[in-house]
Amino acid sequence: MKVSLNWLKDYVDIGNISIPEIIHKLTMSGLEVEDSIDEAELYKDFIVGYVKDKKKHPNADKLSICTVNTGTEDLQVICGAPNVEAGQKIVFAPIGTIIPNGKFKINKAKIRGVESFGMICSEAELELSNDHSGIMILKQEVNIGKSIVKELGLDDAILEIAITPNRSDALSHIGVARDLASIFDKGFHLPEISIQESTHKVKELASVEIIDKINCPRYSAKVVQNVTIKESPEWLKKRLTKIGLRPINNIVDVTNFVMYELGQPLHAFDLDKLEGQKIVVRSTEAESVFTTLDSKERKLPKGTLMICDGEKPVAIAGVMGGENSEINNSTKNILIESAHFNPSSIRRTSKALGLSTEASYRFERWVDPSATLLAAERAAQLIANLGDGEVAHGALDCYPEKIKEKEVLLRFDRVSKILGYQIPKEKIIQILKKLGLKIVFESEKEYRFLVPTYRPDLEREIDLIEEIARIYGYDNIPTISKISISLGEKIDESAFEDTIRDHSCSLGFYEMVNNPLQKEQFASLTGNKIQILNPQSLDMAFLRTSLIPGALGVIAQNLNVGEKDLRLFEIGNVFNQNFGKEEIKSFDDFTEVQKHIFILTGRINEKMWNTAEKPVDFYDLKGFVNSLIIKISLDNVLNDSYYHNEDSIFDFYFTKNYDKEEVGIGGKVKKEVLKQFDIQQDVYCFELDLTKLKKIKANPKKFVEPLKYPKSIRDFAFIFDNYVTYEEVIKFIKKSSSELLKSVKLFDLFESESLGKNKKSMAFSLEYFSEERTLTEEEIEKDFNNLIEAVTKNFSAILRGA
Amino acid sequence: MLDERIKKINVDFNQDISTVNDIKQLEELRLKYLSRNGLVSQLFDELKNASKEEKPVLGKVLNTLRNDITEKFNTLKIHLDSLEKESVEKYDLSLPSFERTIGSKHLLIQTLDEIKSIFKGLGFSVIEGPELESDFNNFGALNFPPDHPARDMQDTFFINSEFLLRTHTSPVQIRIMEKTKPPVRAIMPGRVYRNEAISSRSYCVFHQVEGLYVDNDVTFAELKGTLVAFARQFYGENLKYRFRPSFFPFTEPSAEMDITCFLCHGKGCKVCKHSGWLEILGCGMVDPNVFDNVNYDHEQYTGYAFGMGIERTALLKYGIDDIRVFFDNDFRFLKQF
Ligand SMILES: [Zn+2]
Repeated sequence: MKVSLNWLKDYVDIGNISIPEIIHKLTMSGLEVEDSIDEAELYKDFIVGYVKDKKKHPNADKLSICTVNTGTEDLQVICGAPNVEAGQKIVFAPIGTIIPNGKFKINKAKIRGVESFGMICSEAELELSNDHSGIMILKQEVNIGKSIVKELGLDDAILEIAITPNRSDALSHIGVARDLASIFDKGFHLPEISIQESTHKVKELASVEIIDKINCPRYSAKVVQNVTIKESPEWLKKRLTKIGLRPINNIVDVTNFVMYELGQPLHAFDLDKLEGQKIVVRSTEAESVFTTLDSKERKLPKGTLMICDGEKPVAIAGVMGGENSEINNSTKNILIESAHFNPSSIRRTSKALGLSTEASYRFERWVDPSATLLAAERAAQLIANLGDGEVAHGALDCYPEKIKEKEVLLRFDRVSKILGYQIPKEKIIQILKKLGLKIVFESEKEYRFLVPTYRPDLEREIDLIEEIARIYGYDNIPTISKISISLGEKIDESAFEDTIRDHSCSLGFYEMVNNPLQKEQFASLTGNKIQILNPQSLDMAFLRTSLIPGALGVIAQNLNVGEKDLRLFEIGNVFNQNFGKEEIKSFDDFTEVQKHIFILTGRINEKMWNTAEKPVDFYDLKGFVNSLIIKISLDNVLNDSYYHNEDSIFDFYFTKNYDKEEVGIGGKVKKEVLKQFDIQQDVYCFELDLTKLKKIKANPKKFVEPLKYPKSIRDFAFIFDNYVTYEEVIKFIKKSSSELLKSVKLFDLFESESLGKNKKSMAFSLEYFSEERTLTEEEIEKDFNNLIEAVTKNFSAILRGA
Repeated sequence: MLDERIKKINVDFNQDISTVNDIKQLEELRLKYLSRNGLVSQLFDELKNASKEEKPVLGKVLNTLRNDITEKFNTLKIHLDSLEKESVEKYDLSLPSFERTIGSKHLLIQTLDEIKSIFKGLGFSVIEGPELESDFNNFGALNFPPDHPARDMQDTFFINSEFLLRTHTSPVQIRIMEKTKPPVRAIMPGRVYRNEAISSRSYCVFHQVEGLYVDNDVTFAELKGTLVAFARQFYGENLKYRFRPSFFPFTEPSAEMDITCFLCHGKGCKVCKHSGWLEILGCGMVDPNVFDNVNYDHEQYTGYAFGMGIERTALLKYGIDDIRVFFDNDFRFLKQF
């Protein structure tokens, strides 16, 4: 919200405090000044100039060559405005001046071959209005060569303040002024009301009835007769334009002025358009349609609070007036509405209609129910003072149940318990009194305060403590440099995933962080998707069911920019609706688990002068997964299964299992899947369920003494039928040997015509040793020969080289 | 006779050594003449059989022969050794090597790690919570009344009327307090969602670290002290800071912590919107209503809470001007950190 410092000074005595000090203190008390314009500073270089002469530019139709007198000299200035004429007094920006709109500096320039020594400004360039149709023409009374700050009264400061949702009271100049009074301990006063009223009694001219008393606790109104709708006087227009409002006509401008002065939104009805000169406040009982004053048709849900006349709705309460009761140039008599509506009701309406107005913004945050009459009278007073109408005698004020001021107890020791610092009692009382709170009870240890109705946010002791702290200044509360903490157990729930991260990096993978919101097509690929009710776009309408689609997206993007060899990982949560659950009604209806993905594509080794190129393959993927599993000591706990299923996003894949439960899955991604991502090269990925892995107990690490006795190595190679798997052979070898065989390694594998059809050769290296003694040649030979015999028999295999 | 043989050996040796081209041939030469069973040793053996008169003379000649041969041998050896060394230099050490890749954590995670390690040092536990949350945990329990404009502070992605994507990590506060009795001292890192238009300054997903400390005598002064200690470790020892009143429904009093803009040193620049200050976190004393919602006695216990955005912190720290780079996962970006 924009406030004018000059305007604020009408209510609080801060004339002698500097602008930077005011800005700093406001920010440091919770009314954050986000931006500010100090006019005196902004306009310091602009002066009043006099156009002595105007000639056409020889090389450009629309440009003029002007001679501008600056009081001390005559300068040649090129001007493009259509309205510049000799004899005008204008705002002149000499060389070196910074123009507010665009923040550019005026330099000596040559425009179409003619030199120019400054600029004649428009209101838009000065940011005084949006008018850029021509230059700003000044009144003849202003003095040539003098600063415009003085001559045009540009001595205000405009502050842009961010008002937090709890501070509805600060959405007005009065509200900000009240805080300033407390911050600087200065005098504060409301505008004085005294109206010349006519002899016509308001009760004979109009009436008000509230039917929905819950949503409209108070409705006040004043009637002004014989109004003349016209342009507002300069002072009023200036006040409004300074805070960014566009003047419209005297009546609208007055209602806006009062809203920004007192915080009370007003609405002016054309009284003659109100059927029966009656106001009835009620909520709609069915869905209906209503045309607002911006000529738009609005669909109103059932239960929308409406202002009606004797017959029909004339305004959406607190949001926007209707076209049917709007004032126009022929309006003669008006009714000024000043009401207090239930904030929730206005907010619901505003949300339902997707229509937020200055009025609804304030009503849904709470406007002071005690000040409705004051605001209506203030508006009537201003209209009367402008000489633009006759105020009817008395007011309409329907306030069936008065909203009471709340009493709040404050214990002084509680202030220090919360803040850790003792603010002097006198200071506390002074702060709260300046904010408008009244003392109703006092004792040594505690005070009871009456909180004015414009501060609905002050309901409890803690609310008062916050007021005390913010006005006293957070910076004045010490920053302690010693703390004591309990020595109880400390937990780190992120430790496991961090370990996985470290190992993934060691294996040469880079970490991704992907957006879990994705399109339906991708979420459907890998699970039972959950939909977002109000997505930003269809591309982000579902939660990811696995990390795979997101990772494939990253692969595709990187391939597009020429990064073709990729090794990436991610750790993140994935979401699946549980099967058989129609809707999410509790945490049992869906699962959110943490997963880890490895994804690889391109080459694992690029071609170098001493290294051959090698594309990524399934066994690289399996190797990386196994390395990780070994590092977290789950290698003896988990087992693998291998699949060539059609019904999967993989051509072939393997799973990691704990007992029968799958804890990880991955393999070579199918071409059809890759096509959806526009990927043309092979991709391998594996996804681990960290939520499950975290719960599995790893093998405890134990010290093993280094072997003291020699190892014996034996090799053999067999010709097998092609369908015999490595896993079967290994398992058989282990099963058929004594405990002296400690490890078996496949060191060669090939198929060849010479072996026979559907045959393959596998060569193994076997390691024998004992932790207790040196083995004899005989016992190793015996074991080895038995094994050869068993393998030969079991697989009908042929020992090679025998 | 011996005399003649000495002369012959000398001639032969000179002949042989002239044909030696490498270390291997030199070794053969050594074996032939200078080894234990070599020709020179044989002559010394024969010297035993010489007469008493001849012995001293022949001995002297023989010694001269041996010294002569040894010296010639050594000279040639040094020469050949030096030739051998030169052949090592044939390796072109400037040829490129094959670097093994060590990957890296995402920059956001690295930033988070740094924050975590500071707070762990200050005695905080690290607790996690789900991203798909109930409306109650995300708003209700944190003192956001229904139909209240405070909800507008956080544009929400809803699943339905009761479930949503958490808009902040604060619901984890509720989860901890529902499970544990005070003292509670933990930070809660995690991912959060806001239904905000994607731009260079905001993204619909980002990361936060929440902090909570509840005990018998936790004060606002201690909150200030703890956060200043954090900021000094994270941003630098000499930083200037300020605490500015703000509003969060779940804390009261509430504050925002600013530090001097480290890009312009407080003079004002584009990043700090010409204020000279950078907002780094929000904080405050836990609102008594929150304690009531988790059945903590708000008379006995006081507590503070704070929360900061990781993206914003990383943007500031690494001079990145577009938040979207964090989620693009461009390999060329990932490799930089
Ligand atoms: Zn800066």
